[in-house]
Amino acid sequence: MKKKLVTVTASVLVLSSVLSACGSGNKENNASPSASPAASPSASASPSEAASPAPVERFDVSLRHIQIGELQKFRKAILDEVVQKAEAEVPGANFEMDAVEDSFNRWTKLPAEMAAGNPPKIFDLFGGPGDGQKFARANKLLDLTPILDELGIKDKFTDFSTFIVDEKVYGLPIGASAEGWFYNKEILDANGIAAPQTLEELEAAFETLKGKGVTPIAMGSQAAWVPFMLLNTLIPRYAGDDIQAGVANGSRKMTEPEVVAALAKYKEWVDKGYFTKGELGIDYTGQTNEFVAGKAGFLFDGTWRVSTFNADGVGGALNGKVGYFAMPAVPGGKGDPTSVNYNQNNGYGFSADVNDNEKAAVKAFIKNLYTEEYQVRGFQEDGVLPSMKVDASKLTSDNSLMQQVLAINAAAGKVFPHFDSLVPGTVNGEFEKQIQNLIAGKATPEKAAEEIQKAMDAELAALK
Amino acid sequence: MNKTLRNPYVYLLFVLPTLGLYGLFFVYPVLQSVFYGLTNWDGLTPAKYTGLDNFVKAFNDEDFWISVKNNMYFILFSLFVQVPLIILFSLLISGVKRLQGFYKTTVFLPSILSTSIIGILWGFMYHPSIGLFNNFLGWFGLEPIYWLSDTKWAMLSILVTNAWQWMGFYIVLVLAAILAIPKEINEAAEIDGATGFQRAYRITTPLIMPVISVVVMLSIAGAMRVVDIVLVMTNGGPAGATEVMASYMVNKALRYGQYGYGTALSIMIFVIALLLTAIYQIVFARRQERIEY
Repeated sequence: MKKKLVTVTASVLVLSSVLSACGSGNKENNASPSASPAASPSASASPSEAASPAPVERFDVSLRHIQIGELQKFRKAILDEVVQKAEAEVPGANFEMDAVEDSFNRWTKLPAEMAAGNPPKIFDLFGGPGDGQKFARANKLLDLTPILDELGIKDKFTDFSTFIVDEKVYGLPIGASAEGWFYNKEILDANGIAAPQTLEELEAAFETLKGKGVTPIAMGSQAAWVPFMLLNTLIPRYAGDDIQAGVANGSRKMTEPEVVAALAKYKEWVDKGYFTKGELGIDYTGQTNEFVAGKAGFLFDGTWRVSTFNADGVGGALNGKVGYFAMPAVPGGKGDPTSVNYNQNNGYGFSADVNDNEKAAVKAFIKNLYTEEYQVRGFQEDGVLPSMKVDASKLTSDNSLMQQVLAINAAAGKVFPHFDSLVPGTVNGEFEKQIQNLIAGKATPEKAAEEIQKAMDAELAALK
Repeated sequence: MNKTLRNPYVYLLFVLPTLGLYGLFFVYPVLQSVFYGLTNWDGLTPAKYTGLDNFVKAFNDEDFWISVKNNMYFILFSLFVQVPLIILFSLLISGVKRLQGFYKTTVFLPSILSTSIIGILWGFMYHPSIGLFNNFLGWFGLEPIYWLSDTKWAMLSILVTNAWQWMGFYIVLVLAAILAIPKEINEAAEIDGATGFQRAYRITTPLIMPVISVVVMLSIAGAMRVVDIVLVMTNGGPAGATEVMASYMVNKALRYGQYGYGTALSIMIFVIALLLTAIYQIVFARRQERIEY
């Protein structure tokens, strides 16, 4: 018994010394960020220090982005460049890229991480009460105001209001976008249809295409935010450009006849079969692919889609064959017929839980990403409209599609936001649910409007 | 040593670590869930006690009961379609003289594939224009069916896929039981003039009832916690038609930040599972007799 005990004890000792030897091999690289002394990227080192630089301890900075796949390759390239520059500026910084699909990040992963208290240090973030503002109020986001002041770029943004809570900035929009109709010129020409100017012409075009066996509107409603884009423009055309803000602050109602009329118009298009068959089972990529493959005449999408039709884009086959126009006026509608939906609600946010090293890396990331150079490149390569004040002379494009987008935006009398940047997450969720119910025939326009308003009323009552 | 082992407190000492772990990882979270189920909590700010509000809300939540109903479809499909098919295939394979190993491996294969792969694979088969099923329908001049996009078909499509994934595992279980039955019993019946069907129905099936009981229990448990195949194939859609309890609960808690309500739903799911287990015990398990050959 005694002999056995000695043998076991000796084995444990040998094993533990071997394992501890393995563990100490790469100590420098494995040092935890919080334990490492603060590396000061801009600190001026003395000549003697420069001659024999002190070993810099590596630290990781997690970066969650949504630039996945071929459709996002231009934006991913910009992000990679920015990360390289930031790593070069901050000794020891190692950005760990974590690519997650947009909806999954926004609706599932990031909220779960926020609740668990372990979000990435840098992450893709939406503004508004359902996202950024909610996290900021819970002290989960880094207050960027001092960093923006230090970098001198606070006044360079055109609008970051959806990221502001109590006059502090908690997120920075990476770009802006408008939403409107893209159309396939070849399909329209082949069917004797001119680019529609009015709602009547647009609906006549849908009818003609449907009669010829061509899907009028490419639509993938598996994720409800996709059809929501079209409704988000259709509703202000009927009910006025202040409807989003009005519903959010309680001064307007979803149950107003004009809003119901917009929902009814959408339902009418569903019932007439203008959208892709089986749209509830098709995702956003599937929608884009259908249009790119030349199977649908129209597509309602954001202006970020412009780059898809570049010669080297996924939809290169349609290069020069796609046109763009804003949603036409609707009969008796209260909305300005030239106004466009304009969003600057998506960008980056940063965890409040950062040490000095990580904060330096965050600062370098912001400094390198939010520059005129990348705003212009994002615009030219990817069709992302700038979220910062950029020299207008640099915002020219040889791309005829982009020229149409710019002309329509320039002619816009007003702009209006998306509901999701103004209403709480539960109301946005109810909106999405009712849109899908409308498409599936499970709700009438009146019932859908009532349910959304009920959710909004509950939120407004809770605020009181 | 012997003296020590005669002391009952020593045994208590032995089970203490296990009890500690059980308390830490099971009892404590359950109690905590009960507490959060009684609060309005968004996961970010401190919870506010609201009494039974969440449970009242859950009882009136039409969408939650739709998801409960969908879980029931899984259970019913398992019991009345899957289990009979499992027994049928097991009997057929047990009767095969050649290539039995090949058949066993083939039916077992789906259960070692990941749900994501199965979801994508069957997604192609259900594809409206290029899918296998619609091509088949096309041969008879039938209109394509939007299997995963149509609220009428989506649930059935997922039930079939889920059954395909798990049947092989259960078939192997039942097959092992069939092959363990002494051959003499069947041979004696054969000499007495029993047909193949009679032997399967009157002899083999009753003798493998304990294993079938386990299969039924596992099917119910599997149907209660099903969520992955739904998330991969339809994400609860179209328009909530395939939402199950687990996906609904996760959605409420994570997406809408209603952690208090989500926790209350989890308690209700726990209670529903308990009720079903009780029903299973009364209807099925208690009737089992020990079989000795």
